[in-house]
Amino acid sequence: MIKVENLYKRFGNHVVLNGVNFSVPEGTTTVVLGRSGIGKSVLLKCIVRLIEPDEGKIFINGIDVSELSIRELNELRKDIGFLFQSAALYDSMTVKENLEFPLIRHTELSEEEIDLRVKEMLRLVGLSEAIDKMPSELSGGMKKRIGLARSLILHPKIMLYDEPTTGLDPVTSKEIAKLIIQMQEKFKMTNIVVTHDMVVALSTADRILLLENGKFIFDGTPEELIKSEIEIAQKFLSTTLD
Amino acid sequence: MKLTENINNFFSTIGGLTNFTIRFFIEVFRPPYEISEIRKHMDELGVKTFSIVSITGFIIGLVIGMQTQPVLARFGAEMFLPGMIALSVIRELGPVLTALIFAGRVGSGIGAELGSMRVTEQIDAMEVSAVDPFRFLVVTRVVATTLMLPLLTIYVDFIAILGGYVAVIITQNMTFSYYIQLVLDAIRFSDIIPGVSKTFVFGFVVGIVGSYLGFNAKKGTEGVGKASTTSVVISSLLILLIDAVLVRLTLIIFPD
Repeated sequence: MIKVENLYKRFGNHVVLNGVNFSVPEGTTTVVLGRSGIGKSVLLKCIVRLIEPDEGKIFINGIDVSELSIRELNELRKDIGFLFQSAALYDSMTVKENLEFPLIRHTELSEEEIDLRVKEMLRLVGLSEAIDKMPSELSGGMKKRIGLARSLILHPKIMLYDEPTTGLDPVTSKEIAKLIIQMQEKFKMTNIVVTHDMVVALSTADRILLLENGKFIFDGTPEELIKSEIEIAQKFLSTTLD
Repeated sequence: MKLTENINNFFSTIGGLTNFTIRFFIEVFRPPYEISEIRKHMDELGVKTFSIVSITGFIIGLVIGMQTQPVLARFGAEMFLPGMIALSVIRELGPVLTALIFAGRVGSGIGAELGSMRVTEQIDAMEVSAVDPFRFLVVTRVVATTLMLPLLTIYVDFIAILGGYVAVIITQNMTFSYYIQLVLDAIRFSDIIPGVSKTFVFGFVVGIVGSYLGFNAKKGTEGVGKASTTSVVISSLLILLIDAVLVRLTLIIFPD
């Protein structure tokens, strides 16, 4: 379970997170919805301590993340998958090497076992044929799929998605949303999905949080969001109807 | 305002670079050692610079030979030309010019590569997958540049001495074996060791400066370009500055 208490983060005079509180129960998917540049990615990066918050506490399975040493933090990070907005594939490595990278460093698997795991993950994301390609040879959607396969290859208990459909066409966005659901069905993880894409939000969420001006202004199920009269929520919903 | 900002930037770069260097020395001795990654970088850096240093080395030797020959001829000391070429190349020009080319070619490459990895979140991805990006990306590159530059310098020294032979045979009738004999007669142990030793320092400077600026690149593609060009400027200046200090130090240690 993930629990965030009174989280504050500012950059210079700009307050990005202004006392954020929420928790994500084990095995569920929480979507953080909000406009671009509102601080959603900052929130996600604070959870894995890529960004240090100014104030507040983050607990993962009861452990205060801010209290951990780098070694302890790295142990915890092995249980967390993170899909970056840009997919962040290592561009000097092939797809296979990208997927092998965490396995070689964090498991005792033999070469054959690593090979099998890589092929299995590529099959799950539907890109078996891309195994020997370089990231520069892949489309945006393919990069996201490979990024997802790499994030999941250590079978993490927690999965964080940072804008999984940004820059993708609506059809590919829907495919990625489907993939998120399929991966959740298979691996039963605790997910946080940060997005401004209502299709992804409504199709993947057990619960939606709406971030505006550094705070959550809505906390509820997708059905409750649809019925909500909050102006920004209505604006988001109207984008799905356009 | 602009001046204050520049002064602040200067001191924050110096401070940041110092901390980065200290971190390197802490991390470099800690296992696991990424030997295959170091080997890969050494191979890439060597291949990248091999052709350019070959041409430069040959021209250095040739030009020194052609410039010095008339001066020595005035004093009837043309027989000293091979020794003069070898000493100039081994003691000073070989190490410094190879290091400057290395800074331009490899330092800028490291700055751009790591800068691009930073702005495309690849370094964050590595960190979040519990792999220390400093160890994997920085330590391996700095070790590779530190080990590779001395090897390239020794190679350049040889090529420059060959270039010098071409300059000699333009004006004199001298066999290659006699030329080499004169070169070997002129060189002492105390000429070779300082010349090669300082290239370890230059190689380290090129690696650490490029890595520091790339690793801390900001502001998207603009930041990548800045990391690349600034790494060449700073490492070239540091190479010349350190060279001046090391030359003085060498003269104290090897006074003859």
